[in-house]
Amino acid sequence: MSLLQATEVAKRYGGLAALSDVDLSVGEGEFVAVIGPNGAGKSTLLNVLTGLVLPDGGRVLLDGWDMTRAATHKRVRGGLGRTFQHGRPFARLSVLENVMTGAAIQSGRSELDLRERAMAVLDQMGLAADAQAPIESLSYGHRRMVEMCRALACEPRVLLLDEPAAGLNSAEVDQLVDRLTELRGKHRIAIVLIEHNMGMVMRLAERIMVLNFGCKIAEGTPSEIQSDPAVLSAYLGEGYRHAGV
Amino acid sequence: MSIRFPLLLGAFILIAGLGLSMMLADYHLRLLNLAVISAIAVIGLNFAFGYAGLISLGHAAFVGAGAYGVALLTTLLAWSPWLALPAAVAGTALLAMLIGVPLLRLKGHYLALATLGFNVCFSIVAANWIEVTGGTNGISRIPELQIAGHALGNERSYLWFALVVLAASATVAALIHASRHGRAMIAVRDDETASSMTGIDVPRAKLAAFLLSSVYAAVAGGLFACHMRFISPEDFNYAHSITYLAMLVVGGEGSIVGAILGALLVTFLPEWLRFLGSAYLAFFGLFVLAILIFLPSGLAGIRRPASFSRDGRIKTLALVGASREARQ
Repeated sequence: MSLLQATEVAKRYGGLAALSDVDLSVGEGEFVAVIGPNGAGKSTLLNVLTGLVLPDGGRVLLDGWDMTRAATHKRVRGGLGRTFQHGRPFARLSVLENVMTGAAIQSGRSELDLRERAMAVLDQMGLAADAQAPIESLSYGHRRMVEMCRALACEPRVLLLDEPAAGLNSAEVDQLVDRLTELRGKHRIAIVLIEHNMGMVMRLAERIMVLNFGCKIAEGTPSEIQSDPAVLSAYLGEGYRHAGV
Repeated sequence: MSIRFPLLLGAFILIAGLGLSMMLADYHLRLLNLAVISAIAVIGLNFAFGYAGLISLGHAAFVGAGAYGVALLTTLLAWSPWLALPAAVAGTALLAMLIGVPLLRLKGHYLALATLGFNVCFSIVAANWIEVTGGTNGISRIPELQIAGHALGNERSYLWFALVVLAASATVAALIHASRHGRAMIAVRDDETASSMTGIDVPRAKLAAFLLSSVYAAVAGGLFACHMRFISPEDFNYAHSITYLAMLVVGGEGSIVGAILGALLVTFLPEWLRFLGSAYLAFFGLFVLAILIFLPSGLAGIRRPASFSRDGRIKTLALVGASREARQ
């Protein structure tokens, strides 16, 4: 049985169908990418999964628990993590404090325990040197990594990443790919990645789902998706097959 | 921040206050008492506004609830003030819970207006429910506090007591600030969506901040009632709420030290500038403006990067304008 399962999820905004009967299933430790043109409903799908938007129809299950209408913080405590499109670390807290907020997901941990857990995550993601720094002193890429650390400190079983490579330079993207690969190897976290950087998607994803105008138009392995005619015309472009990203 | 800072803060308050209490004359001791009591209320407001970002313009009503609680229990029911104080604080917390649950669904300026409305309601009830509150005549003959048979009758001995309460309040506040609960409140002000995505129960964190702020307000109110031994609705009208907010902004929102400095400065400034006469209000307005422009994180921000609370600047300008109007 899959760890995270969305069935026939639908969401309308007025006359616009942001999502129509979309299914998504993510197994334990699996890496799934969701791609599609802007406005295809990718972020809406993440918002439905995290409870920031309630769907008009369909169900969302996490390890068998029906959380379709559950509050966001309860989903997070149940093992769902997420980062945002442009990175949203808490600006008035230091790097370490940001990550400690995540580690406090389990009640009853001492301050010392929280600190040690947060430091362990920062260490793993290569941010330990910046632990005491205020957020505003960090580069954009580092801020996004802080947010990722905060999400990881919540010990998610499924991590949803909303365009984590947007705004990063190519060296940072390479680093991000390495860290994500490492994470999966160590912790068996399932990852759902929304991304426009096709190089990154094709390197990481085991399975790709393609959305267009709120509908799923294709799903399959990277090589299947790269040669799918519907995907090529809707998103990747006919030239993609030959360009070889 | 470790446990050292909260304890040092408490100790510093006691030592500095003790020193001052030996040097000052009676009139200034009275002002210092009022400043210390305000400081406790402002440390409370800091939980709601400074940490959780809840603009409360009804803080004086909670101070009033604590004060009226103590006054009624001691005069009508002849309770000991020591029993009346915790009972009044608990009652105020309950009141804050009852109005907090519906009101905290509102955000920003809507919450500010709703809490302001609550404060106005409080004043109207206190002024018109004559059988209980004595109306605008207020409640007099509130018994004085006694410690081991020693009445805290004069300003100096009362100040010592108030200082102990302030030191304890500040220490507890600093401990909460450095805990997961403090971080959760600060996170909620920064970004509610990201907070819930970090497992924080946002409505609960807001309610906790609001309750804490009302508890500190009630403690301040109880101390005020026992100090003045006479209270009336005027002591708790909405202009006082705005003054508390001005104290917090001048001192530095989000900072406990700032809350105390702000309460001291805004209490003493009118005395130091008495020679200005009616021009004082204009000066005070300019002074607060200067602080907002040059020290946007308040007096406490002198040792912190000024950009820490940039976002508070524009909102508070409007509030300070309102403060001046309300005082006139």
